[in-house]
Amino acid sequence: MMTPLFKYGLFGEEFSLLVAFVLGLGFGFCLERAGFGSARKLAAQFYLYDMSVFKVMFTAIVTAMLGVTYLGWLGWLDLDLVYLVPTHLAPQIVGGLVLGVGFVVGGYCPGTSVAALATGRIDAVLYALGILAGTLVYAEVYPAIKGLVNANAMGQVTLPEVFGLPWGLVVFAVVVIAVVGFWGATRIERWLGSRP
Amino acid sequence: MKRRALTLNQKLAAVALALGAVALFAEPHRGPYVKLDARELALVVEEEVDHVTAPELAAWIVEGRADYRLLDLRTEQEYAAYHIPTAENVQLTGLADYPLLRNEKIVLYSEGGIHSAQAWMLLRAQGYAAVYMVFGGLDSWKDEVLFPSLPADADAQARAQFERAAQVAKFFGGEARVAGDAAAPTAGAELPKLTAPPPMPGPATPVAKKKKKEGC
Repeated sequence: MMTPLFKYGLFGEEFSLLVAFVLGLGFGFCLERAGFGSARKLAAQFYLYDMSVFKVMFTAIVTAMLGVTYLGWLGWLDLDLVYLVPTHLAPQIVGGLVLGVGFVVGGYCPGTSVAALATGRIDAVLYALGILAGTLVYAEVYPAIKGLVNANAMGQVTLPEVFGLPWGLVVFAVVVIAVVGFWGATRIERWLGSRP
Repeated sequence: MKRRALTLNQKLAAVALALGAVALFAEPHRGPYVKLDARELALVVEEEVDHVTAPELAAWIVEGRADYRLLDLRTEQEYAAYHIPTAENVQLTGLADYPLLRNEKIVLYSEGGIHSAQAWMLLRAQGYAAVYMVFGGLDSWKDEVLFPSLPADADAQARAQFERAAQVAKFFGGEARVAGDAAAPTAGAELPKLTAPPPMPGPATPVAKKKKKEGC
């Protein structure tokens, strides 16, 4: 987020940590305000009676995507300079499933657990301990699973590149998927809410 | 009949759809096309602030400065045969994908000066702010740094300068010449072997690799 400023040496390492801290506070505040500091709200997503997580995440994706697209189009943002996490298809599917299981079982994702920890929830304390333990275990078994972790390296790719589609078409398609998804999610909430 | 007012969510969805529909025509990547400020570039060229002379560059290398990237634009064979110490080999066609930061001081050289001037234009057009050329290219490096020569009718000041140049030439493995005694054309002079890179005075300062710090 602050990468271009950091990269061009407009501020140093210490100040970048301070900026990260302030941004983190803002992120945590928004999560708490959205009710994501509660494991009940988050777990409800997986039982489909509260689709807030889906809606918030998709809203964030659409907002950021439109913003980046228009800023790039106006020439204010150089998209070639934006860092993307490199894609490793198989390892990221496996990792996503592991994270998903942890999400259902623990009731938090890593970000929301920290927000919940800040408000003093005891389950979040246990969850944070779990994160630490998981990190240690991962570091220990890393040599054994190194091959899997680094498999399918595709580099920094975007959907338009992978599918060979125009950028604008993918943007429009994602917006349509999001709007249809919101409509569908609201229908599911009503349907499940009306059942005895 | 009164129409039901749209809820906030529906309005937001409509806005997103509208923006998404317009974005169908968006081309946010600049691609290989570039934009130039012709006046600004012309001014830089006119004032020649984009030049580094070969002796200046030699002084930087002797001092062990690491605040610049020196790019050799010649072929790999030519680079392998000889290159200015600390130079990296890049082809003109590979320049667009070469890992350079836009705030780095980039010094270019080629055999003469034409390729480096063309590469200078390409880099400036892509928004690299501090791009310099070695004035006269490698030819000038040979004539002025490796094999400097003293004209026969030189005055005392020129002689003093020549003494210093001779030391620098020795540092880089070359040899100073006094006009008249050898009369050997510099083109025929043998370039120093690369197997023994010139020793840096004092502790050699390795080119500090910028730590890559990126991500969300």
